[in-house]
Amino acid sequence: MAAPATSTSQYDAPRAVAIKRDKRTLLRAIRMALGIESAAVRRNTQTFNRNRYREAAALADYDALKDEARAIKERAINNLPDLLITLEGAVRARGGQLYIASTAADACRYILGVCQAHNAKLVVKGKSITSEEIRLNHTLQGAGIEVAESDLAEFILQVADEQPSHNVAPAMHYSTERISALFKRKFSTSEPLETGEELTKFARERLRQKFLNADVGFTGANLIAADTGTLMLVESEGNIRMSSVLPPVHISLAGIEKVIPSRTEMGVFLELLALSFNGKLSSYTSFLSPPLDDAPFALSGRPRKRREFHLVLVDNGRRKMRQDPVLQESLYCIRCSACMNSCANFQTVGGHAFGGEAYVGGIGGAWEAGTGTLENARFSDLCTGCSRCVNNCPVRIDIPWLNEVLRDRLNRASAGSPLASLLGVTALVRGDDRRASAQKIFFANYHWYAKWGARMHGLSNGMIRNGLARRLMQAAVGVDARRELPPFPARTLVRAARELSAPVRVGKRAKVVLFADVYTNFGLPERGIATIKVLRALGADVVVSDAIPEGRAALSQGMIATAKKHARHTADALLRYLDEGRDIIVVEPSALAMFRRDYRHLLADATRFDLLRTRSFDPLEYAARLITSSGRPANDWFDVAHSPVGPRLFLHSHCQQKTMGGAAPTETLLREIGFDVATSDVECCGMAGSFGYKKEYYEMSMAVADDLYGQVQAAEASGAGGVRALVASGTSCTEQLHSGLGRPVLHPIELLAAILKA
Amino acid sequence: MAAPAQTSLVDLFVARATEAAAKVERIGRSAADVRAAVTRATDGLRSFVVADGDHIPAEVFNSLRTIPRVIPKPTDDQLSTADAGITEAFAGVARTGSIVIAMGPPLRSTASLLMPLHIALLPVDRIVLRPRELFEPKGIGKEALGRNLVFATGPSATADMGPLVRGVHGPHRVHILVLE
Repeated sequence: MAAPATSTSQYDAPRAVAIKRDKRTLLRAIRMALGIESAAVRRNTQTFNRNRYREAAALADYDALKDEARAIKERAINNLPDLLITLEGAVRARGGQLYIASTAADACRYILGVCQAHNAKLVVKGKSITSEEIRLNHTLQGAGIEVAESDLAEFILQVADEQPSHNVAPAMHYSTERISALFKRKFSTSEPLETGEELTKFARERLRQKFLNADVGFTGANLIAADTGTLMLVESEGNIRMSSVLPPVHISLAGIEKVIPSRTEMGVFLELLALSFNGKLSSYTSFLSPPLDDAPFALSGRPRKRREFHLVLVDNGRRKMRQDPVLQESLYCIRCSACMNSCANFQTVGGHAFGGEAYVGGIGGAWEAGTGTLENARFSDLCTGCSRCVNNCPVRIDIPWLNEVLRDRLNRASAGSPLASLLGVTALVRGDDRRASAQKIFFANYHWYAKWGARMHGLSNGMIRNGLARRLMQAAVGVDARRELPPFPARTLVRAARELSAPVRVGKRAKVVLFADVYTNFGLPERGIATIKVLRALGADVVVSDAIPEGRAALSQGMIATAKKHARHTADALLRYLDEGRDIIVVEPSALAMFRRDYRHLLADATRFDLLRTRSFDPLEYAARLITSSGRPANDWFDVAHSPVGPRLFLHSHCQQKTMGGAAPTETLLREIGFDVATSDVECCGMAGSFGYKKEYYEMSMAVADDLYGQVQAAEASGAGGVRALVASGTSCTEQLHSGLGRPVLHPIELLAAILKA
Repeated sequence: MAAPAQTSLVDLFVARATEAAAKVERIGRSAADVRAAVTRATDGLRSFVVADGDHIPAEVFNSLRTIPRVIPKPTDDQLSTADAGITEAFAGVARTGSIVIAMGPPLRSTASLLMPLHIALLPVDRIVLRPRELFEPKGIGKEALGRNLVFATGPSATADMGPLVRGVHGPHRVHILVLE
């Protein structure tokens, strides 16, 4: 099927928007990606992702493998200086050369020198992101050397003059139709260039001649063992084998962080990396300790040379990253691409928007900042902190944290504005954080505006609905005029809870405090009230905390000093309840995720974090516990027949809730009660807290949500029964579902409250 | 080791290698059995090459070289145009359906790479369960750690042009003969 003809001339070329030092370039890149690349990227990332999930579930010791890999990388980066010395000995002992280049230019100069010493005319090259980082092709071609990119994806990119958009499949933004059009434009040939088979055959035949006649074979390296000088080379096409086995000279380029202590440790990574190649081992993984023993390949008429091997390790900022308490973690990356494949934003725009010149996706910001300048990491603004990458990373890198810290540093590096300072002063923002944009300060301190909004809810709700006021909001703080901020309730949760009639019988089975998070308290207090009713019915003694910002909003805007302050105050307040023996119930999943995950970074005291982490719960998760411990069936309390929306549900779980493992208990309990539950498998709804409210990201947010809307419609279309009631735990998921489908959305706890037996 | 364990390893290997789009046959390990199987597998091809082995007796390879279409001592030009290459597999990995090729003896790196068809001879007792066993300094791993290895799982493949296409730069077809 042919794709509809798209005029691409109205969009920037990917190269023109590769480096995103300012927001304007980022927005142009997003526009280009949504216009041209989105469909192919989504199809390909989601295929990778699905296969990975399936295979990871079948791998019984997946978590143990991740722990092992993490420990190896930690050790390696810790002992890097020693490892480099050991490696040099190992490479030399086999007759190879190790060169450690301090900068990109230094690496290029050395590699060019080796090529020129051999009077090389043709270099065949395997895929290497590091070579993109150092712009190697530019150097070699500038010196008159032909560089043949031999990975088919890199071949496409070389023909198109584009930067990679993905670690593993760098041309995944190209559909077959677009490759066909590109090749027809660039090559004059009578061969058919329509299908994947034909395009592959065309490229294969051209490249075959290059392999057989190359003077130098160039490869990257996925890992390098210091003790034996062994390179691990992962691929599926055979081009890396050709490049490393046939030509007399083999040059391998990698960052210094790719060195691990020992070859015996490579097996762990082989098994983990397999998951990223559609869940299987990729066709070929080579473990070579070059130079190889047998004679290199030589067609008749070509000189038969001795083998020569050069391992070029590049620093280019990595030693500095190693000294950086936060960026250091990014050196553990094995470039498997799991983070980008599991990222809803990346699935929608790909690495030409969510990426820089060489490095892309959630992990890409740290790398572009580390090997380039901080401003190059501007695209990491597209990380919403949804945390779906966190459990998928084989070396357990906390990628959202890296991006929050980068955002913090970018805020500080910016000039600030008078409006931002004014907003900052009024909302008691930490002085250090006042350089963030007015938009960031607004979202980070939503609690402050919400407090005043709720006090004057009649006036403020009028303004929210008023077109002029909304346009003003858009102009001043960048809230998209097409979005409605949640209206302020007449009674906040804290007030409404006080007015609730006292429980008939004070619960003895458990004592809890319901944390009045900002979103529930000032936005959707009925969810909190429902929580109180259900937990009391299940025998719990429930009290409600004061409304305190827990820091999520500030953290997501990269205002870490403010987030730390919020975290400290929240912890102070909640620990008193813990001392009384109360567990903490949190309605808003992104607030719960703060206690469970993010406070690790925000609270100075690890034991306080551990207390909060282990004793805070989602309402349904806690309800399920109470039911289980009672030994009675859920239907003793709930009757699905009373459901005001019927028994058919579509449950969309919140991104951070899924990462915390909190989605499954909700689904299980709803089913146990007798609901017919269909679920989404999208990684995130696309609203992601404040992200979708921002005027510059509105289109992208809605494009992400198309997936979710499509799944709701598909679930309703399949089988008999039609419409399903929408259920979601997250405040922003609720708004996103509501705005796209125009239907009410319930929190599952509201549903439970409605079907409580008398 | 108990016999049943080995049996299930082979079954798993056959299933997974087949899933990875390799063709797998279980045959006897005598020179005559192997020669007959290779003759069938190369039926219709113009020319093919045979690499030396480490673990399979030399007489097996010598007998293969008596098949008429074998190029006995191929030049590199001939290697680049031959239809098939026959090599020993250093090991097999059951869980992933991979064969492991050890480089070294003449031709093995090219005979498993340059031709459209790669035929691999895999002794049944050299199948392990997991990839990482070839990185542990015991059993078969002890030898593996000192070699240049390629884990090959099915034919070369790409999805860079859109759909999955089998047969890119490396072999388009893989035929594994498990020697029992």
